[in-house]
Amino acid sequence: MNSLDLEKTYDLVVLGGGPTAIACAIYAARFALDVLVVGKIFGGLIATTDIVENYPGITSTSGQGLMEMFKDHMNSLSIPYISDEIRSIENAGDYFTLHSFFQKFKAKSICIATGSERRKLGIPGEDQFAGKGVSYCATCDGPFYRDKVVCVIGGSDSAAKEALYLAQNSKKVYIIYRREEIRAEPINKKKVYENGKIEIINNTNVVEIVGKTNVNHIIFDNGKELEVDGVFIEIGSIPNSEIAKRIGVKTNEKGEIFINRKSETNILGIFAAGDVADAPFKQAITGVAEGVIAAYSAFDYIKDVDIEY
Amino acid sequence: MPISYVFNKIINNEMVKLTKPVELSLFLGVNTEDNEKIRSILKIYVESSKDLLSIKEVSNPIISKNYDIKHFPAILFINTDGKEIIRYLAKPFGAEIRPFIETLITFSGDPNYYELVIKENIEKIKPSIIKVMITDSCAYCPEIITFVNKFAIASNGKIRSVIIDIMTHSDISESYDISSVPITVINDKKSFTGMVGPDEVLQELIGGS
Repeated sequence: MNSLDLEKTYDLVVLGGGPTAIACAIYAARFALDVLVVGKIFGGLIATTDIVENYPGITSTSGQGLMEMFKDHMNSLSIPYISDEIRSIENAGDYFTLHSFFQKFKAKSICIATGSERRKLGIPGEDQFAGKGVSYCATCDGPFYRDKVVCVIGGSDSAAKEALYLAQNSKKVYIIYRREEIRAEPINKKKVYENGKIEIINNTNVVEIVGKTNVNHIIFDNGKELEVDGVFIEIGSIPNSEIAKRIGVKTNEKGEIFINRKSETNILGIFAAGDVADAPFKQAITGVAEGVIAAYSAFDYIKDVDIEY
Repeated sequence: MPISYVFNKIINNEMVKLTKPVELSLFLGVNTEDNEKIRSILKIYVESSKDLLSIKEVSNPIISKNYDIKHFPAILFINTDGKEIIRYLAKPFGAEIRPFIETLITFSGDPNYYELVIKENIEKIKPSIIKVMITDSCAYCPEIITFVNKFAIASNGKIRSVIIDIMTHSDISESYDISSVPITVINDKKSFTGMVGPDEVLQELIGGS
């Protein structure tokens, strides 16, 4: 039976709160490992997604709905989850000590599944109007823009889905993208093109967000201006790998953790999976798979048993 | 599958973890429709608790005034000394179910992860009110609600938490000029927009004293 016990040395501490982390913990618990999950945000980035339609076995659900199912599954195995952030890790050779602001934990192995966070544009007005018209979460803040004009900056599949969500209630939604054509999945691209409320402005960069107390317009790199009430920024994400780097886990130039097919990092006993790792295609389902492999590899590492892959 | 069925199932599954009695005070206003909605939601919790959870309805305006209640309906977690610890100006439904139940369980006396550090720092913290502004579609809100309520319980009300659904209480939303959630406001001075961690909130509580 798993439980929160700050005195014991856990077999595996999973860092993160998204689908990758929870999948890893579920498999670890089923391998009879003593597992603890420490996450800053339960649900991770996918919890901010309006509709998930590409998770096999579930035709359509919300990101929050999907994570409710993950939580149910985790709870059914009595896996302890705590809301905290690990600040540093010490490697004692045969175990690790993880320090947060509130507590410290000991673990024989660690899976880093800390995911990623939204990338910022870094333009004037972005920080000034954060929460006053600038948002990084359409499902959180979309309801404030009923019958208003908004824009989504970015051309990814996530940007397309944010625009589709916002178009349900907003008067007009602009997608502003720096390249020729948005890069959404074909199924979502088609929905965008067919939505009468959405207009795409291609080959354009936003260089400033302007307003008084709240956003009222944006300025493009061609000097033109566009009146908007809300600016939703969806230009990709940055891996949350700082804690990994601090203990010497190797990362690539993007800050993604190098892992092999066993989800192993360069440090014995430390595994990584999901958006924080260096896979080129990042989805909930791929993160889940990597997390499950990490649990299997942790089991192998701790129990010192031979596992055939 | 009807959404209410899913939420009822979550309540049923999670309320099993409540093992000690808890009483909440429900302050009702004049809007009978709102009163009925909140009653029907809380009834699900009560029925799932095997009578460990009880709801004391309060409609006496003098008692409401004593607790300075201006928005209804309001759910209050009040300790045995009559001191308010947590106030909900939000329906504990949808994504707010789990943090509400976790709060109930901690309030009943179960271990509180943040208690040790809150108690170590209690002298440095001045009496504080943390308001968490939420909507029912906010992905980050449940996480913040959970730890803020646990701070309130660990401090025995020296820190009080107020959970506010700003779509229901638009006057509050307007007074704070809110167009984003979650917003975490400490003592009506410092506010955090978006996700904020327990360490950041505690540091503000300590630093702001």
